[in-house]
Amino acid sequence: MSRRLTRRELGTIAGLGALATLRPVRAAVTSTTILGRVGVAALPPPASGARLDRASARRALEHALVAATGAATAVDAARTLFAATDTVGIKVNCLGGPNMSPRRELVEALVAVLGEVGVPAARVIVFDRSSRELQRAGYPIRRDGAEYRCYGIDNDYEPNPTSSGEIGSCFARLVSQTCTALVSFGVIKDHDLAGVSAALKNLYGVIHNPNKYHDHNCDPYVADLLRHPYLRGTLRLAVLDGVTAQCHGGPAFRPDAVWQLGVVAASTDLVAADAWAWRVIDAERARRGLPTLAAANRPPRFLATASKLGLGVGDPNAVREVRA
Amino acid sequence: MSAPFDRRRLIMAAAAGAACALMPRSTDALATPPVGAPLDPEDLPAREASWYRKLPEQRVECQLCPRACQVADAERGACGVRENRGGNYVTLVHSAACALHIDPIEKKPFFHVLPGAQALSWATAGCNVECKFCQNWEISQFRPEQVKSSYLPPAALAATAQRAGAPLLSATYSEPVIFWEYVRDAAIEGRKLGIRTAVVSNGYIQEQPLQEVLPHLAAIKVDLKSFREPFYRDVVRGELKPVLRALEVIKARGTWLEIVVLLIPSLNDSEEEARDLARWVKGHLGAEVPVHFTRFHPTYRLTNLPPTPLATLERARETARAEGLDFVYLGNVPGHAAESTFCPACRTRVIRRVGFQVLENTLKDGHCPSCRRAIPGVWS
Repeated sequence: MSRRLTRRELGTIAGLGALATLRPVRAAVTSTTILGRVGVAALPPPASGARLDRASARRALEHALVAATGAATAVDAARTLFAATDTVGIKVNCLGGPNMSPRRELVEALVAVLGEVGVPAARVIVFDRSSRELQRAGYPIRRDGAEYRCYGIDNDYEPNPTSSGEIGSCFARLVSQTCTALVSFGVIKDHDLAGVSAALKNLYGVIHNPNKYHDHNCDPYVADLLRHPYLRGTLRLAVLDGVTAQCHGGPAFRPDAVWQLGVVAASTDLVAADAWAWRVIDAERARRGLPTLAAANRPPRFLATASKLGLGVGDPNAVREVRA
Repeated sequence: MSAPFDRRRLIMAAAAGAACALMPRSTDALATPPVGAPLDPEDLPAREASWYRKLPEQRVECQLCPRACQVADAERGACGVRENRGGNYVTLVHSAACALHIDPIEKKPFFHVLPGAQALSWATAGCNVECKFCQNWEISQFRPEQVKSSYLPPAALAATAQRAGAPLLSATYSEPVIFWEYVRDAAIEGRKLGIRTAVVSNGYIQEQPLQEVLPHLAAIKVDLKSFREPFYRDVVRGELKPVLRALEVIKARGTWLEIVVLLIPSLNDSEEEARDLARWVKGHLGAEVPVHFTRFHPTYRLTNLPPTPLATLERARETARAEGLDFVYLGNVPGHAAESTFCPACRTRVIRRVGFQVLENTLKDGHCPSCRRAIPGVWS
């Protein structure tokens, strides 16, 4: 005998139906991802205490986008990834506070590039877990107006969890309902448990229960999160602010472990972006006489898992760095 | 038309309503926010945790639950409620109650503790495991800043119970282990007012914090999720062995103990597992420890399984009784005879229950009225 559906089951089914009907479906990750390629452009740090020069930031970001995609111009590169009809979410990682968060000038440079693709600023949403974290990192909180939006998830999650492998989480509705395209805009830093926090670990900020998924160096959880339909269907690009980077003591800001890397990196392969960050961090650790991340018992194991799942290139030695 | 309440909002709304209705009118002079005031999720009161050790480079190791999370600065443990702040480990849920209700003690369930008594039951956000079948995941699987909480320090909690005429406090709903300092302090404050404290827990706790708080508690109910490690690993994200150790510690300390086993179709409902569990309970804890087999209903991440058939519950009960356990109950089956307490010697029904309601209690000073056998429990 069939049983009556509960209200929740009914809502879930109706929600899935609506989702299938309303969400633009683009296989962007598979059709536009250039596996294993990371574009890197020089961007020297400003003088101590100064902000980035906006023109320099824009130029470096554009160079990185070109290097990452092989397109003729940054706008051409962006046009292969984003449509004018997209609502673009840029997930920044501001956990490290004002000294170890993506610089606002770089993020705004990307907003400008998106504008040239035809995405109006009002349909670009820069976000992180909480508005307070964004403010602390120097971002303006804006929920309306003609400029880009900028606000925290602030507990606006889906009412029910969805699963992906070992992950069972409520996703930010910004990700599940609002945005049709996503950018992971991270930093390059060591992470005490994950090993590396760059493009992928940044995505923990879109689920309600990241604390549940730090065992075993976040493996397979990071990869499971990445392959969730909400993300796999919408993540188009990783950008990493490597003007300064941190090789030890993360995720909190540790001034003695920060060095001036002087680059901005971009990739359509988020896994490769992290593998490249791993390589960069280990190189700096070697220069300082620190053990490799693997020797320090925190290799980013999730990269190999992500590779096995076909999500990108997770072997640092297989990543091709293309300098602008 | 307004949107219907989901379960999470309902719990919070009920908690807020209860808080308003039950709170003492005065404010705690030592407290920063007024008692009963909603807490700013971005500014939760932080207190140094009682069980952790410091590690080099501002890292800490939590010594509360067997996960023993090593936590870097600015990060939290797996429970989501304890945070490393510059090398100091703090709890963000002490005095931050997100649920507050008055329940019959049978709802916990305790069947051998003050039958029919009311318990002021409270919880905070967070949990140290992630059961795929969690009934209260809307608070247990969220961080404290993600749920609405009210400031309710231990003394106010005890005073609230007194005002409500509840002889018991009950830490429940989410997982009291993760608010263990709050449980301890509430139990101490409660005792000053003649109010006892009962805890409903997964038993996933290190021995030292358990030993330190047990003297303040009247009773503990432990959810023994399964008697198989793979179940704990795959369905609970915990471990069985430390839970069994905790059960032994509780029993050895003499704190009243009851065990609940939620039987989930195809996952932990075999006759063999029920037998193994019953043998272990009898051998390590004694035949007089009550065991409740309760019915599963699909929820959270286990919505693909049906409710537990009654026959499965009855078979588990018979198996456990055949192994020599004296008090084996069934739960979530209102009206079933196995909700009542029977004298193990003469089979006289000494407490008759339907659901969470006690209809009849014929115990005489904790003894069977027919054969005078002592029935273990906290009766007065």
